[in-house]
Amino acid sequence: MPLFGDAGTIMITGGLVASACALLGVMLVLRGLSLMGDAVSHSVLPGIIAVFLVAQTRAPVWVIVGAATFAVVCVLSIEWLTSTGLVRSDAAIGLVFPALFALGVLGVHRFTADLHIDLDSTIYGEIAFLPFRVMEIAGVEVARGMVVAAVVLLLDIAFVAIFWKELKITTFDPGFAAVTGFAPRWVGRILLVLVSITAVVAFESVGAILVIALLIVPAAAARLLTRRLLTMVLIAVGIGWVAAIVGYQAAVAVDASIAGMMGVVALTAFAGALAVAGARRVRSHRQVTVAAATAIRQPGETAPRGDTHRR
Amino acid sequence: MNWLYDLLPLPGTTVLVALGALALGITAGVVGSLAVLQQRSLVGDAIAHAALPGIAVAFIVSGARDSATLTIGAVIAAAVAAALILRLQRTPRLRADAAIGVVLAGAFSVGVVLLTWITGSGRGDQAGLESYLFGQASGIVESDVTLSFTLMAIALIAVIVLTRILRAVTFDRTFSAAAGLPVRFAEAASAALLVIAVVVGLRMVGAILMVVMLIAPAVAARQFVTRLSPMLALSGLIGAVVGVSGALASSAAGVPTGPVIALIGTATAVLAVLLAPHRGVAWTARHRMRARSRLRRTELLLALDHAQPAAPRMPDAVAGDMGRSVRWVRRGLGSLQRAGLAVVANDAVTLTEAGRREAQRAREAVLAWSAWIEHGWRLGLPDAREPNPLDLAGSLGDEMAARLARMAREDPAHAAVR
Repeated sequence: MPLFGDAGTIMITGGLVASACALLGVMLVLRGLSLMGDAVSHSVLPGIIAVFLVAQTRAPVWVIVGAATFAVVCVLSIEWLTSTGLVRSDAAIGLVFPALFALGVLGVHRFTADLHIDLDSTIYGEIAFLPFRVMEIAGVEVARGMVVAAVVLLLDIAFVAIFWKELKITTFDPGFAAVTGFAPRWVGRILLVLVSITAVVAFESVGAILVIALLIVPAAAARLLTRRLLTMVLIAVGIGWVAAIVGYQAAVAVDASIAGMMGVVALTAFAGALAVAGARRVRSHRQVTVAAATAIRQPGETAPRGDTHRR
Repeated sequence: MNWLYDLLPLPGTTVLVALGALALGITAGVVGSLAVLQQRSLVGDAIAHAALPGIAVAFIVSGARDSATLTIGAVIAAAVAAALILRLQRTPRLRADAAIGVVLAGAFSVGVVLLTWITGSGRGDQAGLESYLFGQASGIVESDVTLSFTLMAIALIAVIVLTRILRAVTFDRTFSAAAGLPVRFAEAASAALLVIAVVVGLRMVGAILMVVMLIAPAVAARQFVTRLSPMLALSGLIGAVVGVSGALASSAAGVPTGPVIALIGTATAVLAVLLAPHRGVAWTARHRMRARSRLRRTELLLALDHAQPAAPRMPDAVAGDMGRSVRWVRRGLGSLQRAGLAVVANDAVTLTEAGRREAQRAREAVLAWSAWIEHGWRLGLPDAREPNPLDLAGSLGDEMAARLARMAREDPAHAAVR
């Protein structure tokens, strides 16, 4: 029995993975790269297969190297197709990632017996098996997946903290960033490589396709609730933890996929955020109307103050 | 449709697979063209993922596993997802890509939960589920094919009936709205068409890779034609070829159909982007290389003729005079020699008679072009065309060219420069 017990291990790992995804997802959503994130997380699969075929290993370090290589291939292919001017970026994304994912699926199909992964695990993830693979740190048994997730989360936090200024400026004003020498394109590329590294870890837990549920949904929900970057990151990470904990409990209660349930909880949070944002908009509309009416009725007085122009 | 099966000298299942793939290719090719031109092709990806919970719910409600029942569920779920995307994209703060991503991920999560719940609650195993995820052409039966062709007919008729509105909204949404066309209706119709295409392809390609069949034929067709109607037809044709070849290949090899079709589709589109005449990457590169070589030849010719028309010169000296590299000069010399415009003896260059005539012609062309730049406005051409710099007389007509030459001769400033 690993540290924190089976259930605790699954929930904590899920939370760590969800935090890492949400952290990067915020940047993706703000940059309009959500679907690039989806593409990169799909291209992890052929990376895992290729590493296994070449090096006969599923050790995390090598798998991460392989997956990151394919992510770079994926991003550069999409950029090349777009740069020919013959294919729009949405079509380029839709051409490249299915091809890479298809390579991965064929690889799984062909070498499934040696690989110990099957198509089910690419869809559902293997989070339920996490507690079975343990390692010892300072005499304490902990799940290997949890340690890997924690390391990757730290890597993501370090990246975002160190490049906070660069991320902010290249996200909100790419033109100004380019003029002042911040290379928005390279920041975007590094971001996508980090997304692929995170996606490898997430792949183990929630599968290749549901990675996007943890990347995009919490970040999109947070976007609806705030205008400040730091607040948005915190809200998104919070939703990620709620998704991991509530999702696990719900999945156990109804005997369904843990990864899927995490996505459903995140989706519920998004729906809630949508409702809150909608209600807020209605209120601010009403405030504007009231302010206008007051101003017309009593020309001498100023309209009531308040952030009525908030969007 | 039995006569059709008897017509082909193939085993029954293979014919079924080929026909199913044919219907899918045509539908997805035609419908996908509109989505690609509207830059909404990834909406198809989300709709395809969203069909999964629909299939699960249809199975839970009816307990039936036949494709007609499951298709109804898929259609409803896909339509709901399409409507949600359209609605979410109008939400302030959410970009189109985030709206697509949220619907895709959310719907797929719900689908996965429902499917695992079906298995877990002992309502039946999820056999047949993988065929909806990755496609399994070999599982297709006759009723599936009939259904596919019916849906294809509906989609094609809808496209034909709505062509004018769809074309207007696809190419100029703002104008269409201003002109009073039903833009929202056209958007809803495009989404509905996507739903039909996705449903046709679900069994064949699977939900995850369906998007390729929407995009690849359209991208490939776009490289060869510029008008909408030919593009729709060509895209349908390419889709049919990709679908049928992929389905047959995967059946023969015994692997999931979706991945094979996805790889063939992407390969087709990339080949088209590389090789299409007048537009493709390779064609453009060759065109640009030729233009550059022609320019280099003319520049070298003029330099040689200008300096010492008759005396032999060393390439190094020419390069020095022109401020070009020796390699550049040698390349140009090779091309001049091949055209018989210069001879190289003892590493020294001399222009031939033909070379000097060609140089004279080039100089005249340059002078004529500067005359056009300076005096062209005085010609009072009946239209606003821009003549071809390489063949001014040809594009202006001899009479205009002669008038232009006269104007240039009479211009004192021009004479002084010369």
